[in-house]
Amino acid sequence: MDIFLQQIVNGLTIGSLYALVALGYTMVYGVMKLINFAHGDLVALSAFAGLTIYTSIFSNGGTSIVAVITVFLFTAMIIAVVGVLLERFAYKPLRTAPRLSAVVSALGAGLVIQNAIMLIWGPNMKIFPSDLFPSTVYDINGVVITFTQFMILGLSSILMIALYLFINKTKMGTAVRAVAINQDAAQLMGINVNKIIMIIFIIGSALGAVAGLFIGIYYRGITFDMGWMYGLNAFVAAIIGGIGNIPGAMFGGLVLGLFNALISGYISSAWAETFTFTLLIVVLIFRPTGILGETVAEKV
Amino acid sequence: MMSRTNIIALIFLIIMGLYPLFADSAWLAIGTTFLVFSVVAFSQDIILGRAGAFHMGHAAFFGMGAYTTAILNVNFGWTILATWAPAVLIPVIVSFIVISPIIHLRGDYLLVATIGINIIFLQILENDLFGLTGGPNGIFGIDVLKVFGYEFFEQTHMYYMSFILLGITLFIMKNLDSSKFGRAMFYVNKDDVAAQSMGINIRYYKMYAFAIGAGIAGAAGSMFAVQYSAVSPEAFDVLQSIMFFTIVLVGGSASLPGVIIGTFVMFVLPEIFREFETARYLIFGLAMIIMMILRPRGIWPVKFGNIPSFLKKGKK
Amino acid sequence: MRILTKVATLVALSVFLVTAGSAVDVIKIGVQAPITGKYANEGQSIDNGVRLVIDQINADGGLLGKQLEVVTCDDEGKAQKAAICARKLVNEKVLAVIGSYTSGATEAAQTTYYRNKTLQTSDGTSDSLTKHKYWTFFRNSFQNSAQATFTANYFVKEKGYKKIVVISDYSSYAVGLADSVTKAIENEGGKVIYQGKIKSGTQNFTAVLTKIKSMNPDAIYFSGYYTDGGLIRAQQLQLGIKADFIGGDSNDNPDFMKLAGKSAEGTYMINFPTPDFLPYDAAKKFMKDYNKKYGKDPASVWALMNVDGLSAIVHAVRETKSLDTKTISNYLHKLKDFPGITGPVSFREDGERINTKFNVYQVQADNSYKIVNK
Repeated sequence: MDIFLQQIVNGLTIGSLYALVALGYTMVYGVMKLINFAHGDLVALSAFAGLTIYTSIFSNGGTSIVAVITVFLFTAMIIAVVGVLLERFAYKPLRTAPRLSAVVSALGAGLVIQNAIMLIWGPNMKIFPSDLFPSTVYDINGVVITFTQFMILGLSSILMIALYLFINKTKMGTAVRAVAINQDAAQLMGINVNKIIMIIFIIGSALGAVAGLFIGIYYRGITFDMGWMYGLNAFVAAIIGGIGNIPGAMFGGLVLGLFNALISGYISSAWAETFTFTLLIVVLIFRPTGILGETVAEKV
Repeated sequence: MMSRTNIIALIFLIIMGLYPLFADSAWLAIGTTFLVFSVVAFSQDIILGRAGAFHMGHAAFFGMGAYTTAILNVNFGWTILATWAPAVLIPVIVSFIVISPIIHLRGDYLLVATIGINIIFLQILENDLFGLTGGPNGIFGIDVLKVFGYEFFEQTHMYYMSFILLGITLFIMKNLDSSKFGRAMFYVNKDDVAAQSMGINIRYYKMYAFAIGAGIAGAAGSMFAVQYSAVSPEAFDVLQSIMFFTIVLVGGSASLPGVIIGTFVMFVLPEIFREFETARYLIFGLAMIIMMILRPRGIWPVKFGNIPSFLKKGKK
Repeated sequence: MRILTKVATLVALSVFLVTAGSAVDVIKIGVQAPITGKYANEGQSIDNGVRLVIDQINADGGLLGKQLEVVTCDDEGKAQKAAICARKLVNEKVLAVIGSYTSGATEAAQTTYYRNKTLQTSDGTSDSLTKHKYWTFFRNSFQNSAQATFTANYFVKEKGYKKIVVISDYSSYAVGLADSVTKAIENEGGKVIYQGKIKSGTQNFTAVLTKIKSMNPDAIYFSGYYTDGGLIRAQQLQLGIKADFIGGDSNDNPDFMKLAGKSAEGTYMINFPTPDFLPYDAAKKFMKDYNKKYGKDPASVWALMNVDGLSAIVHAVRETKSLDTKTISNYLHKLKDFPGITGPVSFREDGERINTKFNVYQVQADNSYKIVNK
């Protein structure tokens, strides 16, 4: 039993990272109907930027709560700025172009970010220091949870609840939802669509940045091309939950993390991706709008 | 009177046919791969450009052809010539089995599902299913083409074999355009709802496009396997699919010169700029963005507004 | 049209002259190694090592009166890239190719070199590398089965492990080593309670490790590469699995310690003598020269193994006074106790390096190695 619970804990940890990244995909898709292929690479960029900030400011070791908060805040800000620039230069000029042109532009942007990381930090694996978080391990009846895992689960829950409240309870959140439903109508109602899209990119990128830092802290080794793998998994999570749907992305992330952990633990880790994408295809065949998505009539 | 597309195709064939006279063996190898990739790009264009199906898993079909040749040759001792038919047929059959359940998915959903198919294919290769695929290392020591005791192993031989394959592909494309499929696809691209209500079965034609595209990609894969005498999973991963996808869109979908230019820009230019080594993909990504902003329909877009020759009276 | 022909002839002529001109007084040596990608620091060390030795030879007047030139091709440790590199280096008309680092990339290129009569020497340890008995191939390290016998003997006889877990990734090298170790352990009368596989580069190995935890093993043996090994070790301790961790030869890399962090201490590694432990003066000189030129040490012993492969080939060229690869190969197949920096180099008829020596190292608190086997 405790083995099963351990797998659940492991699955939820990686699942909440997927969820954080998935939110970035789903918000952009919801508003712009664009698969932001560069989002995964932003996540990788944040891990590298965070590492550099940490080593340059706190080079003489000694982790404090101040150091950690500084790193998170600075990195999130930098990545948010990059996200906004990305939208301004690579996506905004293509809003009225054919759908696939924007997809190619997104792929190009991903390539730019990925190779920029490689040029700045080199092609070799970079390694996070192991003392950023205390290496405390909690043992609850045989189920082990590390301090890092605890932080990942805690902080991502807080961020997701905050986002949910922002979208559903504030005036700006209402504007975001309005733009997602119909941009032209929202514009006519006096909503500044450009501003809303900018906010979407700020929030999405900052959440991705948090995920990227956690990936670095939890798994230690970071490579310039790692964004692709995390991005793809997170994107699948967003679709499973129902793309464009914010609770759907959170739900999809957690479901995918659990599904992966249980498949790897009880069937085979070698076939994990096959199971992931079979699940995706099955979901798409039977519920094309995702598990939490609403079934909408096809517009003509 | 020849159409403009036919003239361009002819000029292209003549240039590529004479190219080996001026190229050393290193450039000949690049030329060979360029020919193979342009064949794959054309087959991607049948699906993406002509049938308008968002397909981002084409490397899977390319890989199926390559692995069919590799497995039959290395594991079962078939001659390369004997592996050609299965290398085309297996991708066709597989495309029918895996694509028909998802062919109705719209736009981005189909795109993600085809990425999924590519990833599943890759995992089958990496996990050495039934001990046939050789795992992450792939299969080595693939033979060269032997006919009547004559071995075609030199780079020039490889080049002209790819060249013939390209010629066949262009011939198929030409016939496709003037066939019932070509006409149906023209209407679908103009207005799919109207086409559907006219009685054109979009699903049927999209599936047809997938099957033809998969078969041609399989043939190219077989050629690729022989050229390098080795196949391994990472040559057929999603990034490769993304490249074929991008080739078509950067060049201009459903446009013959567009696809040729696309292949040149996406494949040959990075080879030429090898000196920039590390920075070249950065520049490349930037170029993709700028290109899409300046020419959202590709470098050499096809003009769907014009009435194609097959609809004009008295001309065929 | 006439102008076109003239231009074409000129181009063709100049291409011919350039290639012909360079072929006369230079001997080209190819390096096929993962210069970028996951195993970049190993690949770069091999390239650096080869370039260092070639520079020294050139400074001493070259080989048979000719200068040596290095042509490097980056295979990224991937088989398809390796096949492309093989074509490229053959087209460059290199005499011999040093590399690659991984067995998979080496094997993918092997046939092309054999068909084009180009010599190849690699540190790859897969048994399958010498399976074809290609006369062009020379292994400069030692094969897996030898390592497996040593490992099994150490586990069962010296440490007395009762419950052993064997993990590998999916590469043919690691699977081959894991299979040989499992078989050797059973031959020694030991027991492997679980043999599992992980996907290289996944980073998250907790699912498999959690499963292993329930089996309560004495020892976990990992036959894959350091990029995964370091993380497996770290996650093993996080999950509270008390077993000893023993890494196969490819875990020997400074990045293993960085990835494992504090968990690295106490890890065992089984490998050939690492650079610091090589008792030969030539090795000490090489390490000093390397450090002087590049400002750091080579990543591991693999670069030195490859340098020995190169030195043996250069030695054979000098002795035979020939650039015919078949002649050189015939000489190398009979080579006995050539003084290399990793010990005496001797080859067997199938290109296998013989006279193996292994050590068990334990990682200390300061990440240094200590020999712990008898």
